[in-house]
Amino acid sequence: MIKINNLHASVEIADGTKKEIIKGFNLEIKPGEVHAIMGPNGAGKSTLSYVLSGRDGYKVTSGSVDVDGIDLLALNPEERAAVGVFLAFQYPVEIPGVNMNVFLKAAVNAVRKQHGEEELDALGMLKLIKGKSRELGITDDMMSRAVNVGFSGGEKKRNEILQMAILEPKFCILDETDSGLDIDAMKVVAEGVNKLRDGERSFLVITHYQRLLDYIKPDVVHIMADGKIIKTGDAGLALELEEKGYGEFLGGEEGAV
Amino acid sequence: MSLRVLDRNALPTPKQEQWKYTNLQKALGEDLLKVRPQAPEQILVHKLAGEVSSEPDMVVWKGENGIHHQPRLKILLEDKAQATVIEHHQGAGSYWKNMGTEILLGAGAQLNYIRIQNESIDAVHTDMVHIDMNRDARLNFFSLNLGGKLMRHDVHTVINGSGAQCQLNGVNLLRGSQHCDTTILMEHVAPNSVSRQFYRSILDDSAHGVFQGKVHVHKEAKKTDGYQLANTILLSQGARMNTKPELEIYADDVKCSHGTTTGALDEEPLFYLRSRGLSEAQARLLLIQAFVDEVIDKINDETQSGQIKDLAEKWLKTQLEQK
Ligand SMILES: Nc1ncnc2c1ncn2[C@@H]1O[C@H](COP(=O)(O)OP(=O)(O)OP(=O)(O)O)[C@@H](O)[C@H]1O
Ligand SMILES: [Mg+2]
Repeated sequence: MIKINNLHASVEIADGTKKEIIKGFNLEIKPGEVHAIMGPNGAGKSTLSYVLSGRDGYKVTSGSVDVDGIDLLALNPEERAAVGVFLAFQYPVEIPGVNMNVFLKAAVNAVRKQHGEEELDALGMLKLIKGKSRELGITDDMMSRAVNVGFSGGEKKRNEILQMAILEPKFCILDETDSGLDIDAMKVVAEGVNKLRDGERSFLVITHYQRLLDYIKPDVVHIMADGKIIKTGDAGLALELEEKGYGEFLGGEEGAV
Repeated sequence: MSLRVLDRNALPTPKQEQWKYTNLQKALGEDLLKVRPQAPEQILVHKLAGEVSSEPDMVVWKGENGIHHQPRLKILLEDKAQATVIEHHQGAGSYWKNMGTEILLGAGAQLNYIRIQNESIDAVHTDMVHIDMNRDARLNFFSLNLGGKLMRHDVHTVINGSGAQCQLNGVNLLRGSQHCDTTILMEHVAPNSVSRQFYRSILDDSAHGVFQGKVHVHKEAKKTDGYQLANTILLSQGARMNTKPELEIYADDVKCSHGTTTGALDEEPLFYLRSRGLSEAQARLLLIQAFVDEVIDKINDETQSGQIKDLAEKWLKTQLEQK
């Protein structure tokens, strides 16, 4: 599904200088797998998610990202969306004046258009949006507002999962989708994710807490620090981390922070 | 209540003007200074006390090549009268339209005034608006500036009655080398009145916009609530905007503030939309439309606001397709 090979990426800072954040990152996720990435603040987890989804301001200096044979780094953000890459943002942005329904319709049809498919008719769209939003406990009131405007922290995260459910991508990156969620909302979100697990779709779940991984069972857990993966294990690694903290893992590695 | 008329022989010189961005003498140029003056055309919209008109009054001012037009519009609403006035400016060729507008609102009168300025691209449009508001009067004024090579829109409002509420809203869509000045003087003379100024501009190519708005709260105007907001999105490096918000307050216990922003479209929402599959052009259109629609939605008539949104959308599509 996705193969990230020796990825190096820098941010362009205002004064024109570059700061390397991703420093030789390797990862392979097979179809249907769920991988979790845990790591201390500032490790570069969100930066990785931006580089994968094609945000401006990041420069890939070496390495490659391959999604089902496609060179992802050669594509702009909308093309990556059409390939099936989806990022659930750590901090979803508010878009005043752009109504939720208008936005969701535009997104669905934009992806369909890139696939050479017909636009979805009004009735089909209504059914799709209504059905998915109900499942995720998103109220009609939220749907009548502008994108993320006036949404609580938890509502914003649920809205990310709603978009994911509607767009049906094949590679989903969830950046701290659990933070800011109460226990019930976390269950709703995890159910939403689990419903999308179909043996084909792959997930990269970035989180600080083992708790989410109780609900979304990962196949593989990675620890990321200072721009690269420093340890990989099974679901047990997250439990071990919860118990011992990062100190042990960081201290034992050469070139650690 | 004489109209303040800008006579071409009495044009202000840069020295006399507090604000020097538009040099009218120079902007008009030799050709336009020689245009044939036309006798003032006058239109009066007059509603008697308590009269509520169900249909809007339509006013259309056409511009003709080589003419110096001097239209005069007077809107007089007596106590508790209600009306909607829709004004269109259009034309062809090179001309100078020097407009004078006077609005008088009696106690409790309510006016919706929509002004759509879509002059010929070679026209100069100057418009002096004088507004006088009495007790509990309501004004909802929306202005769209689209056409013309040089526009000056001066609005002088005097709130003489307590409880009056004045809304001045506007959208400026400018491209090429268009220049548009909006100058507002909002005078709160009586206590307990509310004023809102909400202007948004989209500037492309080497267009130049100016917004200078002053809220002047007189000594007796206690409990004045005044707010002023001017936001601009620049679509090109060559476009320029100057904003000068001013508050001049002589009364106690008032609530007045202002805000202005000028810059390129925010990168974050743009990326958010693109990451969901929208093309860059589509994402830009959606965001900029939302930005201007927020002002257009202040018009409390959906047919009218719908038509203005269509005009704005057409303009934006043309600009964004070039990018
Ligand atoms: N635009 C930028 N300019 C300068 N530094 C940046 C920029 N973007 C990211 N960084 C730095 O890169 C590092 C990694 O940031 P990133 O947001 O990817 O971390 P993270 O692992 O997601 O952290 P958290 O767990 O707190 O979300 C941080 O030190 C951050 O300050
Ligand atoms: Mg992060």
